[in-house]
Amino acid sequence: MAGHSNLPTPTNSQRLPVITGCGIISAAGLNVAEVWRAVAAGTSGLQPLTLFESPRYGPIPTGEIRHDLVALGAPLASSRSDKLGWLAARAAVADAGINFRENGERAGIFLGTSVGGSFDSEKFLAKLIKQGKFHPRPTRFHECSSTVDLIANDFGLLGPSAAIATACSSSALAIAQAAEAIMAGDADVMLAGGVDSLSRMTWGGFHSLLLVDAEGCRPFDGGRGGMSLGEGAGILVLESEASARRRGAKILARLSGWGLSCDAYHATAPHPQGAGAATAMQNALRRAGLAPSAIDYLNAHGTGTRDNDVAEGIAMKTVFHNRVPPFSSTKRVFGHALAASGSLEAIVCIEALRRQALPPNPGFNKCDPAIGLIPVTESQPARLTHAMSNSFGFGGNNGVLIFSIPETVPQTREPKKIQFVVNGIGVIAPELVTRKEISSPLPPGNALVHSCGPLAGVEMLAPNQRRRLSRLQQMLLIAARQSHPPVAGQRVAIAIGTGLGCMEEVGLFIENLVAKDEREPMPARFPNSVHNSPAGQVAIDQAARSMNSATTMGEITFESALWQGLSQLTVGEADCVLVGAADELDKYPMSIGQRWGLWNDTVKPGEGAMVASLVAAENAAAPLARLTALKLGRCRQPFDPAREADWIAAAINLNNIGVILSGAKGYAWLDGRYEAIATALNARAGKNLEHQTYKQLCGEFHSASAFGFSQAVKLAREKNCGVLLFTMSLRGGKSLCVVEP
Amino acid sequence: MQIPTYELKSQIIASLKLQDITPEQIEDDAPLFGTGLGLDSIDALELVVLLEKDYGIVIKDIEEGRPAFRSVKTLAEFIAAKRTN
Repeated sequence: MAGHSNLPTPTNSQRLPVITGCGIISAAGLNVAEVWRAVAAGTSGLQPLTLFESPRYGPIPTGEIRHDLVALGAPLASSRSDKLGWLAARAAVADAGINFRENGERAGIFLGTSVGGSFDSEKFLAKLIKQGKFHPRPTRFHECSSTVDLIANDFGLLGPSAAIATACSSSALAIAQAAEAIMAGDADVMLAGGVDSLSRMTWGGFHSLLLVDAEGCRPFDGGRGGMSLGEGAGILVLESEASARRRGAKILARLSGWGLSCDAYHATAPHPQGAGAATAMQNALRRAGLAPSAIDYLNAHGTGTRDNDVAEGIAMKTVFHNRVPPFSSTKRVFGHALAASGSLEAIVCIEALRRQALPPNPGFNKCDPAIGLIPVTESQPARLTHAMSNSFGFGGNNGVLIFSIPETVPQTREPKKIQFVVNGIGVIAPELVTRKEISSPLPPGNALVHSCGPLAGVEMLAPNQRRRLSRLQQMLLIAARQSHPPVAGQRVAIAIGTGLGCMEEVGLFIENLVAKDEREPMPARFPNSVHNSPAGQVAIDQAARSMNSATTMGEITFESALWQGLSQLTVGEADCVLVGAADELDKYPMSIGQRWGLWNDTVKPGEGAMVASLVAAENAAAPLARLTALKLGRCRQPFDPAREADWIAAAINLNNIGVILSGAKGYAWLDGRYEAIATALNARAGKNLEHQTYKQLCGEFHSASAFGFSQAVKLAREKNCGVLLFTMSLRGGKSLCVVEP
Repeated sequence: MQIPTYELKSQIIASLKLQDITPEQIEDDAPLFGTGLGLDSIDALELVVLLEKDYGIVIKDIEEGRPAFRSVKTLAEFIAAKRTN
């Protein structure tokens, strides 16, 4: 991977990210001091599960938080994940001594999350299946983005926000992308980290994969028998050095490097030689401008599963040329908190640097000859300058972070300004309006929907490739192939969002778990429960080994994926990015939406997929269009069209715009807001911009603006003018993006 | 006790959702994983579910099943041995 001439040059810019606050909640403690005591002592945080009954697997050791979260101050009307995230955010913000009343526009939040509100939605399902009662209230917080919106709205973060759902590497990607946001100047302060609660879904799922050690995890030990589940949240206040110095804030550590990669190998199993893991570590070192020998401590992913620990061991030996630095896994302290694990471990690294001590690896007794490495077994003082944290997830999704003491001189590279162009587009469009039945266990009914029907182009996927793929995955694989024929040697990054993921597969998986009391595991379905499963499948299909990200953010899901894809082009970590988003029709959103009065004659549920390939202009022979602006933000309350128009006008060149393509969806109150913003923009432009909408064509689904993007490219070419795609999410997020011929 | 391999092959095809293949096309001795049928680790877990659901054999560690999963023949022998125990 080394030797690319287009790499941005090292910088000593004041935009380098530093950490000025940490907030944590976990089975090992409710604040950083408590957690460090447990980490340093190597105390297991695992206790018998009490959060829910597990008829098949029993109350085995788990990293469960047994405190009453509402009593700790968390908002009542929220999911368990929301509560954990909110508590960690409150602690992080207090630690940084920051408030966002003055500078909310310059502050954002990226959080890793993969379980979302599943724990609460499962209560709804249990009632539905076992008692026939249809009480969908707990599903209000189902989406993975719920925690991000809650924190952003509560703390007044009006800059970029997104949930990143790449399973167990989510936090690392969120922190890495937050660093990019700061480096790019899109924000001065970012809350970044991750959250996941325990849930029946992940509990039943990891058990179905036979990956859980009933005695509690023993990472890197010769007798290890799998992982232990955990839960929690960790949130960092990441801030540009200039902002921290301006505030006179205490700097806890630097984030000096971050590296992302994808195995593009298998849905769940890591690459046996840890190839992708090694690449991510090397990418992080290169980004930090550090030699492998500079790393003084490595917090390993170390889940305790046979495959992870062997592959990670090989990867460490590859990267460090057999001189592996002192390393440990702290998974037995926390349990594996999935999307939150990277953030908990980031805080372990930061504290290790601050306290100049090596954290031990509880659970380790004897060396595994297949690994041939011995972790730190007892806490010990040490001179630490740089610490590395590894996180690896389903889909071979790898994220590595390097933290350094504040006194170091950073070598991190700055992003470059690039003209992005759209090189290809693939669309699965919802062309068919049809009536669809709602099946059990939901109350019988039907709804008028926009459907993609039988998927055109499905024959390009081999039957045996298709056998375990959900409809959503198939839609995205086809769209990705249409957007981009693989080019040998090209470094391809992927950012593909989804609002609700593979709903049908997940629904069947959890229904089965609840209805049959865990009696009949469904191992082939569980890997489809993570929102990055389509992105992971596309990576395998396209041999795309650069960053692989999956975003989820309500109506601005696509734009947050687009933002992440572009970040990889600007920092020279990819030659081409495939960005897209998709959602599939499913009985649950249809039925619950009906109960909540979301659907009517004009607003119908829909589905669809879009993937666009983007490259730097100099690398495209015949681009479809240019992408000249992209911005993520959040509407301030109360709604003010003039303020929103100002926000748009400041980010784009209105002279070049001919059409506004808005996310209006057929609700009078919302469409009126879009209309008011369009009117305010007309005044600023001094001309009448054409206001068009696209949801009448595709129906309503979270990633509909991906379809909108394809319409924007079409319009820009047809009308030979700039098209502004503007979207507001019902939970406060907003985005703009400009496509020009 | 003999386990009819034809029935077992039908069960494997159904539970793994294998496409474009009939029981007749699977040889008793052909490897299931890697080169032969090209199954992967998730298929192995589905075989574990099949064994429990259809034969009442519970496998808690995938390593325990590995020798049995070499071919249809070894799987049939494994089931027969477990059933006589």
